[in-house]
Amino acid sequence: MILADCGTVWSKICDTGTGVLDVLSTKDVTVKYPGSFDIGTGHMAKGRSIRYENELIALIRGSMRLVEEGTYSIVDVGGRDIKFCRLKERRPLKLDWNQSCGANTGFTIELLAGYYGLDCNKLPVTGERIPLTCGVFGMEKMFDMIINKVDPAEALARFVHGLAYNVFNFCGRPEKLYLSGGLCENNSFLASLGKYTDVTPLGRDVLLYGLSEEYAGPTGG
Amino acid sequence: MIGYYGHPPREVLEEARARFGNDFIDLDVATGAPSSGVLPRAYCKILSNIVDNAVNLGDRLAVIVASVGEEKCDGGRNVAVILEKMGFNVVQTTNTNNLRRPVTISTSGLSLKEKLDRIMASVVRAQPRALPGCRPTHGFWGVPPNDYSLLDLFPPTTHVYGWTRCVEAGVPSDLELELHVDPEVPTVFFTQSFCAKQALAKFLAGKYGGLCIDIDTSVTDSILAKVEAFIALT
Repeated sequence: MILADCGTVWSKICDTGTGVLDVLSTKDVTVKYPGSFDIGTGHMAKGRSIRYENELIALIRGSMRLVEEGTYSIVDVGGRDIKFCRLKERRPLKLDWNQSCGANTGFTIELLAGYYGLDCNKLPVTGERIPLTCGVFGMEKMFDMIINKVDPAEALARFVHGLAYNVFNFCGRPEKLYLSGGLCENNSFLASLGKYTDVTPLGRDVLLYGLSEEYAGPTGG
Repeated sequence: MIGYYGHPPREVLEEARARFGNDFIDLDVATGAPSSGVLPRAYCKILSNIVDNAVNLGDRLAVIVASVGEEKCDGGRNVAVILEKMGFNVVQTTNTNNLRRPVTISTSGLSLKEKLDRIMASVVRAQPRALPGCRPTHGFWGVPPNDYSLLDLFPPTTHVYGWTRCVEAGVPSDLELELHVDPEVPTVFFTQSFCAKQALAKFLAGKYGGLCIDIDTSVTDSILAKVEAFIALT
């Protein structure tokens, strides 16, 4: 069975027969996987999955398989959106999905890191943060810092810290937070978010767990 | 043609019917009328519909029967004055009826869209018969949305609460009934964006663990996903 979580930027695809988890750029998916997926989620899996599941449902169901507590908060920070659910006794108490201000999310960090030739997963951890109520204004402040001789890695780390603070507020400032998505691999983001809440990264394949009981995590490749 | 909005008293609508005929149009409802540009762009879409529909219909409207009291909102009162100043024949009404009729459409097993259609039709003509009830799996609290496609997301076992239930009960300004929900029923609290009822929706959703949503013009992917998830997982 082929399971696919195809976001705007990154796709996570697994053949449950082999257990190999393939993480690839969404723009390359059509070439590598020309056929249909058995179960899909994410913007780009619509229309090419035999069964489609909405991302919030996949996130919640996936988190239920990975988290033992009945009452908890889960957030998925994606390439262009942030999905959140607060569960109480394993039922959704608060749901939110912000996809309006894509500038604040993962893809922007990758773009900025790429522009400055930085590895976005090896940024420093900083106590400073750029206010990111508006992502575009946030980028403007970051560029101003670089013009004023702040090291680009430090400036981007402040941007990442601002994003982490935004995520914390978006989730209602919980004491504990489970994190899903590619930023689970970004130490600067994790440490920044960890300044505000007890954060537990669950990895970038949480939605795949939510698509089918057959998915039990990557086992090969 | 008789235009109306909100829930005017039945007797006022009957007077209009006697004078102008039986051709009613609910100006609250989106009909595809072009924007008149009269109201601000960031404004309640239902109030915008009223003005846009009226301007679009123009002389075909013999009269506009306007709800301007607590059964509607301040916006309804302001819009009535604007339409009057624009030259429309406006009859301002308030509906303070506090004698509740029993509700049966709100608690029936009809599709949610059919429920709201029948309830809103009851403003101008009484619904003929009581309907059998069903056990609720979900609740929809609020006003009829600008984008009715929202209603397709709900199962027929959804009960109607809030202002829409007040309309069926014939008591559109009954705040006590508007606040009523069944605490054990997972409920979506809906308002139009920029509506004063957002305060009630947020309060009730917090109190009863429901989902609070607001929509401006049409249902977004985010809203769709949230409602789908709430219904699937509660």
